Order: sequence, then structure tokens, then C-alpha cells
Amino acid sequence: MSPKIQVKGLKKSFGSNEVLKGIDVDVAEGEVVCVIGPSGSGKSTFLRCLNKLEDITGGNVVVDGFDLTDPKVDLNAVRQHIGMVFQHFNLFPHMTVIQNIMLAPVELKKADKAAARAKALELLKRVGLAEKADARPASLSGGQKQRVAIARALAMNPDIMLFDEATSALDPEMVGEVLQVIKDLAKEGMTMVVVTHEMGFAREVSDRVIFMADGVICEQGSPEAIFSNAQQPRLQDFLAKVL
Amino acid sequence: MLRLPRAARSRGATAATLAALFTVLAMFFGSAGATALAPAPVAAANQSAGVLAVPAEAKGKTFTIGTDTTFAPFEFRNGNGDLVGIDMDLLQAIAKNQGFTVNVKSLGFDAALQALQSNQVDGVIAGMSITDKRKLIFDFSDPYFDSGVQMAVAKTNNDIKTYADLAGKTVAVKRGSEGETFANSIKDQYNFTVKALDQSATMYDDVKAGNSVAVFDDYPVLAYGISQNNGLKAVTAKEAGSSYGFAVNKGANADLMSAFNAGLAELKANGEYQKILDVYLKDPAQAEDTSFFSLLANSFPALMKGLGLTLLATALSLVIALVLGVVFGFFKVGENKILRGVATVYVSIFRGTPLLVQAFFFYFGLPQLTGVPIDVLTAGVLTLSLNAGAYMTEIVRGGIQSVDPGQLEASRSLGLSYVTSMRRVVVPQAVKIMTPSFINQFVITLKDTSLLAVIGFAELTYAGQQIYASNFRTGETLLIVGAIYFIVITLLTQLSNVLDRKFNK
Repeated sequence: MSPKIQVKGLKKSFGSNEVLKGIDVDVAEGEVVCVIGPSGSGKSTFLRCLNKLEDITGGNVVVDGFDLTDPKVDLNAVRQHIGMVFQHFNLFPHMTVIQNIMLAPVELKKADKAAARAKALELLKRVGLAEKADARPASLSGGQKQRVAIARALAMNPDIMLFDEATSALDPEMVGEVLQVIKDLAKEGMTMVVVTHEMGFAREVSDRVIFMADGVICEQGSPEAIFSNAQQPRLQDFLAKVL
Repeated sequence: MLRLPRAARSRGATAATLAALFTVLAMFFGSAGATALAPAPVAAANQSAGVLAVPAEAKGKTFTIGTDTTFAPFEFRNGNGDLVGIDMDLLQAIAKNQGFTVNVKSLGFDAALQALQSNQVDGVIAGMSITDKRKLIFDFSDPYFDSGVQMAVAKTNNDIKTYADLAGKTVAVKRGSEGETFANSIKDQYNFTVKALDQSATMYDDVKAGNSVAVFDDYPVLAYGISQNNGLKAVTAKEAGSSYGFAVNKGANADLMSAFNAGLAELKANGEYQKILDVYLKDPAQAEDTSFFSLLANSFPALMKGLGLTLLATALSLVIALVLGVVFGFFKVGENKILRGVATVYVSIFRGTPLLVQAFFFYFGLPQLTGVPIDVLTAGVLTLSLNAGAYMTEIVRGGIQSVDPGQLEASRSLGLSYVTSMRRVVVPQAVKIMTPSFINQFVITLKDTSLLAVIGFAELTYAGQQIYASNFRTGETLLIVGAIYFIVITLLTQLSNVLDRKFNK
């Protein structure tokens, strides 16, 4: 079976600043990959290249068989299969919680309003927020906001989920509730790429852990290998600081 | 604009030859081809028909006549906002006598002459002295009034009695008037300074305020003003003066000119001419109620008419400006470099030049460049909407850019297109941010309509100027005008805020 995500020689520069210096990685269907590494190592940029929120400077990113660097590929159609969750939630403040979730399915005619509403309520139940359906995002706590954002990303039935430091902006007591939702998704067999600073979480849910530093993949392997048997001095340094 | 003189035209020339000649001339003088061509066949027809048949040519036609705004007693607005005065009554009487109709445009003296030269109007009657210099570019009628310059000072001033008393002082004159010419001709001899102002009322106020010690103006104007208690008194005898004439562009509208002369002669013969003069000069002082409230009551209808035009121009301009602002605002935040450049140039031009210059350009400049006359409302709305549109563009750009970029990213990551994302996610948030700036721009544009008074657009400020030009109660009238603006703007701002709170929760 061909990999769900195939990245070959991926390069990304902002002006003269080269952030990604050639990344090669495959993600298999149903695989959960956590990306760790120090700030500025290019983790988030790498993730944002996977649904082309960033223009790609060089190399290829192939998702579900679609080459994102091919200008003929309909990016909007590909993105419907890739859910993304952001560090700062990015909920739409002028809509209620359930309107946030229903927006894409209704606009893209994937469901009529009633069906979209039913599906949205089901997703809210799944993240434990059914009673907040008609609330405004501003009235929610950070953890609740992020769970709504996950429900919103799931509304289009994606088969890949990208998490960009989904718990970094949360107060510590709210990290658990969000991680639990992500863990549940992992158990259900969702293909996921998770950029995170939560080492315990990475160890627990990952099939594979990627350590990035200075725009390259420095080391990768099973959680065991990365956390208990680090080879590269840079990874050893990093782990010594965060664990 | 220079035209082919009558004598140069040959009787046998075909219209086509004339047209070709006009085109060459028009190109030669850098003037607009289209307007230069239009009158050619008519003028040629007049020529061949002979002078006697000319009144028949003017009969049934409608002519647009430019005039001053505030030159009592020749033209001014009465309490109802109707344009009256010696020029107006005479013009209407002649038109009636000769069977043509006139559409009078009250533009201001300089503006009327510019409008005549750019073919915005067919003729000008504005208490204009016939001078050799003016004869070079205009054809004048037979004189219809003999004037002369006179000097007046404030009623309370007992020091200035002769020109010699003016040494070292400043005197006020009306720009482009005989009074200015006369004052300039003796200023070195008597060693005084000449200050040129635009309107009679402004001159009188300047003297009353003590900025100038005396005013040189045409005697009928002074006589009328003094009889209306304008606070001045005449101190010298009338200088032997010039005569007033009705003017058309040189070589143009010969039918109109002949009809005017014929009508004038008839009115003089049947006594109607003297009757018209008597209305304004013989017994001008009526026993008028001079209380503030009677001023308010008398001027109210005219001011409300002006307010109506102010609101109309504001509403039209804002709708167009909003469309321009949205279009160019999206150009500015878009990815297309050319469109972004277009929007940037547009904003730079209209933010980087004064509104007043823009108004003059659209009303006087554009017709000269294109040859297509433009009416004052169109020119005014064009000016205001393009100007406000530039500011709206920046409001829209700022509003969109102030929405967190993460909002667009989140929407795009769901698979929504750029357009859908803007429509459903970014714009609704931007509108909320932009609303206070929109309300602000709305108020600014409403106030900016007052600048259109300079091109003769009869809005509220202009209506006010018309009133104090005939009654000389500048302070009180401006107080009323200011209060009307204040009340209307306050009410509309409150309304906007209520709507903002209701829809932008």
C-alpha cells in the first residue's frame, strides 16, 4: 500500500531564510506521527506544508496520491480530506459553536443544513460539549475552544488530521481534556501528524516520533527508541532539557 | 477657447468644409474638438439668413445662461431661494419678449466666465463691465446699464473721506471687478494696498471687521447694500464708469445675441426697462422685520432646499464611494500586483490632492479636455465619491487586514475557497471593525459637500451665502447654517450608532 503522505526533498524558505532544508518522510495510513524539536526547528512550517498553507519552495508533498506542488491539483478538494487544528484555535468569533462546525459542510454542499446540524451535534457530544452548541466562542475556556476546533476539523470527515501545537496555548489544567480527545482519535485509526511539546503524550500515542532540528529530520524512530535510546547528541540535549 | 471670427466665414462654404476647418483650429489651439464642431452649422445658417431673421432663430430655443451668485442688486436669492435682481428680471423679460427660454446657472463671477469659455453655458449676464480685454474673447450686447465705481467706508468711520485718506491702509475689492481695476489704477498714487475678495458680502464684512478701511465697488451694488443696512456709507462721488453688457463666446450664439439686443431695445422703448431698475434701485428699502426669528423664518425654505441637495449629494457620493472602496480595497489586499498597483495609484491621487482642486478639475477642467459639458451635481458627486472612495479603500483594506490571518487559514484549511472564506469568515468580522470608520467618513463627506459651493452647487452652505449676500446678515445666517449641519450630523450619527449596535453585536 502506498503511504498516505509522501514528502520528498521538501524545502521552504521565507525570503533568504531557509527554514526547511530538505525533508524526506512517509506517513502510512492509520499511523500516528509526533514531531518534536526545539523552537525554530521548522516543525510547524513542515506541518503547514502538508496542506499547503505555506507555499512550497522545493521538493514534493503527495497526499492521498495528489501532488500539492502540481498547480493543476484542486487544493480545496484535497484540503477537505485534511483536518487541521491550530495552536490558537482560530474559531470564527462571529458564529456560534455549532455554526463554526456546520460552515464547511454546508458551504461545500456536503450535507443539507439539518444533516450538518445533526452531525455537528454528534461531534460536539464526542468532544463533550453538546451543551455549548449555541454558545459564542468567546464564552468558552481555552480547552473548550480547542475541542470545538477539533470537532470543526472533523466535520468534513477528513482521513488525515494535523495538529499544530494544539495544547501550547492552554492553561495546564486544560491540556488533559484536549489530549484525551486526540488520543481517542488515534485509537480510532485516524492518520495523524502531531507537532507537540507534550513528551509524555508523544511517548504514549505515537507510532513514530520525529525529532527535527535546524530544518532537517535529525532522528526518528519508535517512542522507545527516541525517548529511551537517543543516538544524536542534539536529541539527547533536547530531551535533557524538556524531560 | 478661440473661435473662427464671423468675417472669415464664406457664405458658400459647405458645412463639411467648415467642420474640417473647425477641427483643424480646435487641434491648433488645443481645445476640444467636439464642442467646437457643434455650433458650426447653426452659425453658418444664421449668417446666410441675414440679420433680420435672427430673432426667429432664437425663438423657441432654450439657452443656458451663467451668472454670479451674489451680486445684489443684479443677481441674488430672495428668502424663497429664487434668483432675482436686475440682471435676472431683465433677462427673463427679454426672453419673454423674444420668445426664447433661459436656464440660469448661478455659478459665481469667475466660474461663470470659465463656464462660458468651456461652453458649459451659452451666455453670461453678471453685471459685467464691457472692457477691451474682455472683448478679445467675448462678444458683448449693447450696454444695458451704466455703472461707475464708488468708495464706501464703515458707517462709523469719519476719518476716511477722500482717496488721500487711504494712505497706508488696505481697501477691499471684488476680484475681477471694475472696482479692482480702478483701485489698482490709483493705489500707487494714494499709497494704499488692495485686497481682492470673491463676494460683495465678504468685502463689506471685511470693512466692518476693520480688516480693510474702505471698499471700491460698483455704485448700484453699494447703493443697494447701503439701503439694506449693510453698515456702510458712500463717501465719494461715482467715478465715470463703464457699462454692463451681456456676453457670449466670440463668434458664437449670434442668434441669442441679436435677440438680446432686440429685446433690450423694445423694453427700453416700452418703459419696462425702467420699471425693472426702479424695483431694485429707486426704492429698495422696505420696512423689514430684522429680528433673528424673522431671518430664520424667511431663510428657512431656501436653506431646506439647500439641505435637500446636501443630503442628496452625500447619499449618492457615499453609495458610489462604498462600491469604489470595496473594489479597490479588495484590490489592495489581493495577490494581483497590477490591481494592487491600480488601487494604490488611485488612493494616492485622491488622498494626495485637495478636494477643492478636484472639484474645480471635474467641473471646469474635464469639460475642456473632453468637450463634454458636465452638470454641477454630476461633477460634485463625481468629486466627492472619488475622494471618499479613496478613504473608503483604506478603511476596507485596514478592516480586512486587521482580521487575524489565522481566520483565513482556518477557513482555507477546511477546504473553503478564498472567495467563500472572505465572504463568510473575514468580511463579516472586517465590517464590524470598519463600521466606526465608515460612520466617520460619512460625516466627513457630508461636511465636504459644503466645498461644492465654489462650483455653484446649490447646497446648504451655498444657500446660506446667497441669503447673506442679499441681506448682509452674515453672522446670524452662518450661525443658522452651522446649527443645521450640527443637528443633521448629530441625528445621523446617533442613528448610525444605533444601527451599528443592533447589527454588529
